[in-house]
Amino acid sequence: MSARNLMIKKDVPFSLYEADLLDAAECDLKELSDDMGLNLSSDEMKAVREYFKSEGRNPTDIELQSLGQAWSEHCCYKSSKAILKEFVFGIDRDDVLSRGDAGVVEFDEDHGYALRVESHNHPSAIEPYGGAGTGVGGILRDVICMGAQPIALAAPFCFGPPDLGEELPKGVKHPRQLIAGAVAGARDYGNRCGVPVVSGGMFFDDRYTSNCLVNVGCFGIVRKENLTNNFVGGPGEVMILAGGRTGKDGIQGVNFASKDLSSADEDSVGKVQLGDPILKEALIHACLEVIDRKLVTGMKDLGGGGLSCVVGEMALDAGCGVDVDMETIPLKESGMAPWEIWISESQERMMCSCKSEDAEKVLEVFRMWDVEATPIGRTTDVPRSRLYWEGTKIFDMDLVFLTGGPVYNRPYVLPKVHSKAAEVFPVLPGHEEVILSMLSDYNVASKEWAIGQFDVGVRAATVVPPLVGRINEAGPGDAAVLMPVPDSWKGLAITTGCNPWFTAADPYNGGRSCIDETCRNLVAVGARPDAFSDCLNFGNPEKPERLGELREAVRGIGEIARDLNIPIPSGNVSLYNESSGGGCILPTPMIVGCGLMDDVRKAVTADLKREDSMLYLVGETKDEMGASLLFRMFGGREGQVPTVDADNLKRLTDGLLKAMDKKLVLSCHDCSDGGLAVAVAEMCISGGIGADLDLAELGAMDTAVKLYSESNTRWVVEVERKNASRFEKLFKGAAKRIGVTGGDHLAVNEAAVRIPVSELRISWHDPLGDAMEGVR
Amino acid sequence: MQKASVCVLRMEGTNCEYETVNAFKAVGADAEAVHIKQLSEDASPEFRRDLEGYDILAIPGGAAGGDYVRAGALFAARIRATVGKEVDDFAESGKPVLGICNGFQTLAELGLLPAFGGKADAEPVIAFAANASARFECRTVRIRHENKGSCRCTSRVPAGAVLEMPVACGEGRLISADPDFIGRLEDNDQIVFRYVGPDDGEAEYPWNPSGTQSGVAAICNPAGNVLGIMPHPERVMTRFTHPAWTRGYASEQGDGRAIFESAVGNLLK
Repeated sequence: MSARNLMIKKDVPFSLYEADLLDAAECDLKELSDDMGLNLSSDEMKAVREYFKSEGRNPTDIELQSLGQAWSEHCCYKSSKAILKEFVFGIDRDDVLSRGDAGVVEFDEDHGYALRVESHNHPSAIEPYGGAGTGVGGILRDVICMGAQPIALAAPFCFGPPDLGEELPKGVKHPRQLIAGAVAGARDYGNRCGVPVVSGGMFFDDRYTSNCLVNVGCFGIVRKENLTNNFVGGPGEVMILAGGRTGKDGIQGVNFASKDLSSADEDSVGKVQLGDPILKEALIHACLEVIDRKLVTGMKDLGGGGLSCVVGEMALDAGCGVDVDMETIPLKESGMAPWEIWISESQERMMCSCKSEDAEKVLEVFRMWDVEATPIGRTTDVPRSRLYWEGTKIFDMDLVFLTGGPVYNRPYVLPKVHSKAAEVFPVLPGHEEVILSMLSDYNVASKEWAIGQFDVGVRAATVVPPLVGRINEAGPGDAAVLMPVPDSWKGLAITTGCNPWFTAADPYNGGRSCIDETCRNLVAVGARPDAFSDCLNFGNPEKPERLGELREAVRGIGEIARDLNIPIPSGNVSLYNESSGGGCILPTPMIVGCGLMDDVRKAVTADLKREDSMLYLVGETKDEMGASLLFRMFGGREGQVPTVDADNLKRLTDGLLKAMDKKLVLSCHDCSDGGLAVAVAEMCISGGIGADLDLAELGAMDTAVKLYSESNTRWVVEVERKNASRFEKLFKGAAKRIGVTGGDHLAVNEAAVRIPVSELRISWHDPLGDAMEGVR
Repeated sequence: MQKASVCVLRMEGTNCEYETVNAFKAVGADAEAVHIKQLSEDASPEFRRDLEGYDILAIPGGAAGGDYVRAGALFAARIRATVGKEVDDFAESGKPVLGICNGFQTLAELGLLPAFGGKADAEPVIAFAANASARFECRTVRIRHENKGSCRCTSRVPAGAVLEMPVACGEGRLISADPDFIGRLEDNDQIVFRYVGPDDGEAEYPWNPSGTQSGVAAICNPAGNVLGIMPHPERVMTRFTHPAWTRGYASEQGDGRAIFESAVGNLLK
């Protein structure tokens, strides 16, 4: 018997079906789930049946669809929750003000800053422009519903190599097309909303070809008295739906995001939402205004699962229930079934709750902004969600059951990690060739082609932009610095840290390295690392080896964050990043980090500033070549992946920040991909000044290890000669002299390297722009 | 002394209104962001504002209405459909009108720039085409003050001074059907800033980020009270939002400040 026959049309003047679940054979349950696109397993369907048995009736289609949303991996984190709980939740610090849709941490006496990063991967693989744009739109809403004004965006993306051949698996778009689309989508949405993209990165690897990653982070600033709950204030309140109308776009988007991508998904364009940044711009103003006027009790954005998720969660988190009159919901098109309305992920929508006497005032503010706002329901003191269509009840479920969702401790196997014992060191060409080709590797090369399209200075608060150094001849920075509060010099630094190759070779140390890199970047501009948000992009959790990678990476992230006492008050998990052919992405824990600085006028940038300064390497260089850029480019195998010692990181952070506070540091840049060699080359490129390196102080290591090891917790620092001894005293031997600045060459005597800075610049600057030439 | 009051006009998609308000406040003016609806009967009494009551009108940057038609066209159409006459009157009264980036594009669409005849042009005379690079260009430019004294919004910027400020737009290339419009602008002393290269010479890409003819970055009307400027002076009120300030600086003041001081200062005379 086909599951379709289980669906019985109800005798009502609109589209409503009942599913004959109570009488269904076990084998029909999974088929019913598949037919309806619920993406629920047999066991989950059995639990649903048990619930409706206890209710003494069959479910309606809208009830089942709602469960499909609420119980999706995307919405209830069923495969990852136990792992997150064990390792990353609950790093408590008194100054964490909220762990809502975005995390909020104290900024100064009067303000908090909000942060969150999340993924929009699957939609972007199908339709990169819309996917990236609505990714930006969604993360903006997460920050706004905390009451915070969005002040910055981060856009870390992962793609296949831009110079990939034209032969691609069926249904897969060429990386160049994805890059152009995703950058344009983030650009048009971010620029139009007036929120600067100040951080991000592009990661290129074959393993992202079939499943690109589009992660977006957002940061905001909120006056403490405006910090808003993502739940209602109590029973008897009005729920007001504001913003865009509800349509058929983005139906079952969360289910689409909670399974592997397949070539058939080319037809999934209807699951991709449509963005409207200009409506969003007005919605931002109106939402912040009703908050500022103290008219609302709670606010939450409509993202994955649409109304079906937001309404119940807002009510239940306050111990309430909700009654909704579904026919009042404004629609984009006629003929939508109630279940489609309920789970649609149409964009630019926000839900707020208010006391009934304030409802008219709330509507007045939205009218002022020409933003449609409609009361659609009332909160109750019974924790149930009840939906009516012109008086007919079509949905009546216990919210604890609906939003609870299953939690799985799925089986996992610990990954085999790369080791020094198994290392095969590659045969290298001359060091000049190595350095130039590293600078031209797409992962290192300039991202100016993309960054130049983002309005990095809108809001007039950008103190350190993503590219630093000479005007029109800038180089890579480490972190952006903003001064988010007018008339205050207090700074918020923002950065992104990730090394998916480390994580693939050794998930635990890779996870730790991602945190270390985030900290290094923040410290390099003079900020003290203060909070992280993580977007965990991994493969199919139903495969034990994939889940093992996730578990180990999360363990690494959580342990080091705890040792550093830095909270992770928000985050996102994106699983099933696999193509149906079995190709899996690199395990990619994308970390965004925020740091604080008391006075932005002490910010430091990475460009070399002067001739004849001393160059130092702060931190220890070790023989840790595993998954390094050198090994990846020249065929090295295995090797130790860089480790992190939290105490060492804390100690060197303190030393550097002290040196910067005393204005002893002219420039500073962290060592990451390509190690010391690439770090110094980049400082020469942005400063337009050469450097002469003498690596004797690093000890008796192989020159290639000194130059290209990617050991963590290291920075290259430029210090004026007259300040050298004061600087050295702060580090007790951990700052090693590695040379002097000056001239127009990068020279390394022991490696027979002498490359003109102009040549370094061309090698670094041109590749991505050349690859993207003419691509629209 | 009464503070100058500034109306920073906005609609959905303008997105530089707060920093423009802050820039005017920083030079001692009273400024507020005013939604275009607040100037019309549409607004409830609580929100209602009267344009005539302000001393300065500023149209900020952004992408008003999404700029889905032609840069500035949607904002201009909205103004024409509601408070067109009030805005014309405001400009003709000689009060300062400042349009930045998208605001410049809007003034051009309104015919308030270049306004060769002294009054608003009935049809737009200039327009802004896509940058020669065919991309949104966000970068720092150098602009030289070329005005010989007609422009009241730059009176405190020394003649020939070179200012550094960011530009951020996709459509910045000034064009006109009139082949001699640059000559006419020059004849009337309507050119206010030109892009210059790193050596103060003629600017080529990227120093001229849009490929605009003759490097024109800002113009005023013949009376000198209406200024349209492509780069964003409101983003550089302090040295510490200049892009390369960590490489050294002479003053903690930002290069954009003098423009706001000129607009506000002239009013108080």
